[in-house]
Amino acid sequence: MFLTNIAYASSGHEAAGPLFHIGPLEVTSEITTMWGVMILILVVSYLGTRNMKRIPSGVQNVVEMGIEMYENFWTDILGRKRARQLMPILASFFILILCSNYSGLLPLAGTLPGLKPPTSNVSTTAGLAIIVFVLCIYYNIKTKGIGGYLKHFLEPIPILLPINILEQFTRPLSLALRLYGSIYGEEMVVASLAALCPLVLPLTMQVLGILFGAIQAFVFTLLASIYLEEATAVHH
Amino acid sequence: MDISPSTVIFAIINFCILVVGLKIFLYKPVCNMLDSRKEEVANNLNSAEEAKLEAQKLRDEYAAQLQNARSEAQDIINQAAKIGEQTKADIVNEAREEAARLTAKAQDEIAREKTEALNEIRNEIADLAVLAASKVVGKTIDVADHQNMVNNFVKEVGEAK
Repeated sequence: MFLTNIAYASSGHEAAGPLFHIGPLEVTSEITTMWGVMILILVVSYLGTRNMKRIPSGVQNVVEMGIEMYENFWTDILGRKRARQLMPILASFFILILCSNYSGLLPLAGTLPGLKPPTSNVSTTAGLAIIVFVLCIYYNIKTKGIGGYLKHFLEPIPILLPINILEQFTRPLSLALRLYGSIYGEEMVVASLAALCPLVLPLTMQVLGILFGAIQAFVFTLLASIYLEEATAVHH
Repeated sequence: MDISPSTVIFAIINFCILVVGLKIFLYKPVCNMLDSRKEEVANNLNSAEEAKLEAQKLRDEYAAQLQNARSEAQDIINQAAKIGEQTKADIVNEAREEAARLTAKAQDEIAREKTEALNEIRNEIADLAVLAASKVVGKTIDVADHQNMVNNFVKEVGEAK
């Protein structure tokens, strides 16, 4: 803890602490940034779909193309019916994580109070991973029944029971840590480079950050969709 | 790297809000639009197909009608030609009959004229004969007797001939 604070201070980061409280809950910079990102996403979607026309133009074109692309992508993994059902959740993961990752590219991100990429904090990524974890259990029980779900732990052979149980927890853990580590690491490198030479040097890492941000968002969503595919698969 | 429970809870709540918000503002309208457009395109294609079939049907109908009209016209022409032929034959026949009739009439006329002429000549000859005989005899026989006599003579000659 002490060391992290040192690292924050030395790289020009604000010490991670609550900005204010809502009831018993602390609101940190990550959360306010997440709200900003959400507002941006919702406003753009609202503007894109405000008055939809038969013959699309402008933002509507982009929005429709994006949604169609998502749908085709998940139709390949999940099939038409499940893609329609799960797409809102999966696409939200992708959009939210992508925008969160890119919020780290904004100037002063990480130093300005209230502006810090949400995905650079393990708590937010853990929150997202917990959602995937809960959804997997929910869909498993919904499609297979409790008995079927529990029986699934004994397959293919009962001796794998501990590993199967372990797998249930390593999946969200790896989801959370992969995303957090990647974005946090990138932020740290950018901050360190900025401390060395604030002018051009951080730009190199930020350009890579564009790539990492997209890849991490894609990987998280892809893994989540594969887990959910498994959870909703009906065995014959 | 310490996990703050309130951030985790906020992240989960935020995500749920985002999913609901995006469902309302993005997925529903866009999916509805895409579906309705898909449906519309399918409908349009269907109706185009129907229109095409309809057009084809009409075309076939018109072609059949045209064919009918053509054959009817041909029939009419054939009939007219037949009637014309008939009329022509009738007229020719009539003309022939007329000509024959005229010829016969003319021949009759000629025969009648000839008879008349012959009669006249006969009378003339009788007169002349009476005149000559009276000159020869030197006296005038009763003209009426004489006339009778000559007439009888001429008649005899005519019958002998």
